[in-house]
Amino acid sequence: MIRTPSLPLRALGLAALLHLVPTVASAQAASSEPAPALRAEACSVEGLMDSIRRGLGSKSAAYRKYLRTLLRESAVTLPEAELRAAYERETDPVMAEHLAAALVARTERGADPAAMGVVAKRILDERDPALRVASLRALRRTSATENTGDLYERLARDASPEVRQEAATNLIEDNQFVYSGHHGPAADAAVTSAAASPDPKVTARILDSVSTEHISAESGERLKSLLRSDDASVRAAAANALGGVPAEQMAGSREALLAMYRDEPDAGVRKMLLQSIAQLGFAGAIPDLQRLRGVDPSLAPEVDAWIRALGLGLQEWSLILREKQRLQQAP
Amino acid sequence: MTPESVHRSAPPVTGAQGRRTPLVLAGLGVIVLLAGVALLVRGSSGDGASTSGEAASTAHARGGSGHGGSGGGSGQGTPQAEEPPSRFEATTCWKDIERFNEAVTIGNFRDWAAPLLASRDPNVRDYLRERLTELIGNDAAKATEVLGWSRDAGPREFNVIMMALRNSEAVHQPQVAAKLLEHGMDLTLDGQRRAGILSALDTQKKLEPGMLGTLADFAKDPVSGEAGWAAARTIGRVMKRDFNEKGNLAPYMDKLLTIGTESPDEQIRYLALSMPMHTTPVMDEATYERYAKVLTTEGSPEGREAAAHNLSVSAGDDRAKTLALFAQAFAVEPDVCARWALFRFAARVSGKEALPTMANMAITDPRFQPLYQTFEAIYASGTLDFVRVWNSLPEQDPFTCLDRHE
Repeated sequence: MIRTPSLPLRALGLAALLHLVPTVASAQAASSEPAPALRAEACSVEGLMDSIRRGLGSKSAAYRKYLRTLLRESAVTLPEAELRAAYERETDPVMAEHLAAALVARTERGADPAAMGVVAKRILDERDPALRVASLRALRRTSATENTGDLYERLARDASPEVRQEAATNLIEDNQFVYSGHHGPAADAAVTSAAASPDPKVTARILDSVSTEHISAESGERLKSLLRSDDASVRAAAANALGGVPAEQMAGSREALLAMYRDEPDAGVRKMLLQSIAQLGFAGAIPDLQRLRGVDPSLAPEVDAWIRALGLGLQEWSLILREKQRLQQAP
Repeated sequence: MTPESVHRSAPPVTGAQGRRTPLVLAGLGVIVLLAGVALLVRGSSGDGASTSGEAASTAHARGGSGHGGSGGGSGQGTPQAEEPPSRFEATTCWKDIERFNEAVTIGNFRDWAAPLLASRDPNVRDYLRERLTELIGNDAAKATEVLGWSRDAGPREFNVIMMALRNSEAVHQPQVAAKLLEHGMDLTLDGQRRAGILSALDTQKKLEPGMLGTLADFAKDPVSGEAGWAAARTIGRVMKRDFNEKGNLAPYMDKLLTIGTESPDEQIRYLALSMPMHTTPVMDEATYERYAKVLTTEGSPEGREAAAHNLSVSAGDDRAKTLALFAQAFAVEPDVCARWALFRFAARVSGKEALPTMANMAITDPRFQPLYQTFEAIYASGTLDFVRVWNSLPEQDPFTCLDRHE
């Protein structure tokens, strides 16, 4: 996750602005300067914060990344109370994100189980959406999905669309990068949050992106309920997600998808239904697809493409997708 | 960990990425190899090859590697500050690094970076690598100058230099890539250095016929050693990148198969045979036949495993043929790890329809009886996708093949 912090001047304090002046000046005088007197020293919260505030003005993305990495890597050996106090009083979103990341790192490394909770609490209590977003980013690709209670379910209902989207990103990236799509509880948390959100974009984005390979039966039922959503993108995403459910849920999912195909008014949703029916049955789905072929003549070529790809007898979904694409691209 | 050891696990590596494929890949352990971009080569290690993304690192405690530096403790906390847990090593902060950052140039980089490189501070080393990439930018002359440093750089500096070049924009300029190749072929340089230089070509978007031919000829040269190994890996990595951009894989596949069958070095042959595992290319008939031949003629069991893997993802009409080929090969295969590859990849070829073939394999070799029962039960549960079958196995390395070469 490499982010280039923007420089929201409005949000920067006067002290930070003043610090920028010598930085710029030193760059102009670069050619004639003697070598810097580099000396290793112990890191401190105050020293790192000063460096980061000044470093925000650097043109070097490498340097900005170095500073925020250094703060996070230092977090486990910095005084907890000092770090926490600095975070709680910080009102610049960029700095708040760095400090939150440092606190989260303390929990992730087993140095301080409560530190992540400090960040979660501030997200819930914070009135400024920009600061909620900043702290949320610090929870990304961590164990927060499992260790912050119903935080994400609540954030999926946040008044701010930016916060809702950031929460969705966390759920997606936690499932993908922390759990590799193989952890049922994390996937269940994502499905629960998706279902809880009144924002169709959030619901659809989560369901389109999270592996449902290990979801619970309860989550499977939630997905089936979402097939009845008024929003076509949510119906399509729920259909998509149902294509990847565990073996014991496959038959029920297949029935649910087949049952809605004829009455589904949206072509995009129908296309996704075909895909998930294919995924749930592999070559065994061919008879179902043949039965559905006449329902919507505009999708007959799509059905045919699936039948041809599945007919190859490949045993991996990714290979079936590869072959379908190849067959459709063939002259 | 060497790529060999990763490949030993080599499960169903999938390449054409479907919607959720990336999620699965991580679970297969393959990502360890794909993400590894260390420039150092087989049998060597180094402390400058860290390329971990910053985000992921928070979730893992840094291991026991010493940071050195002078930071020995907090020392600057408030009077009420807690004593930090002793199991964590303090990081190093550098006085005057801000001025270093603002005033460093290609001209003074080596002198100025020397004390930082001497410190063994991994954070500052990552920074130096990325800062040097910024300084090189898209300037071919600067890139060439930095490449010149590689001749006499110590191991840590060499690593920073090569990673910086590898990730620079300028490395994509033909004259810079040509210079890298020229240095990589320079017999006056030691093998490890040449390996590092050739590895820096692995970010190329594609390899033109001339460069591909030079790398391939070098890789199969009996005296190429670890630099040849690096050349083969570079071909494989660029192939993957080109594949992802819808490029033509045929020239790469041809060269890798040639290396994989002609190099006298078993490790190079294995690497060349296994690199296509990461792209799941569609094979033409001639390529299929070449891999089929490798399955029975390759001297190393790892190479035979790689061939079985590549054959198992071939599409369509070859499935019955492949299953029969695996059955025949299993009967005469002396190595249990290669047998395990043929056994599980039989399932990958034909799913539950492979169960009778797998049952026969288990009769031939009773060590596979419990595995057969496991596969049978998984298919009976309704699981279809081989990736899921693989992930359902209670033991993915039943014959301890993974660590055989470690």
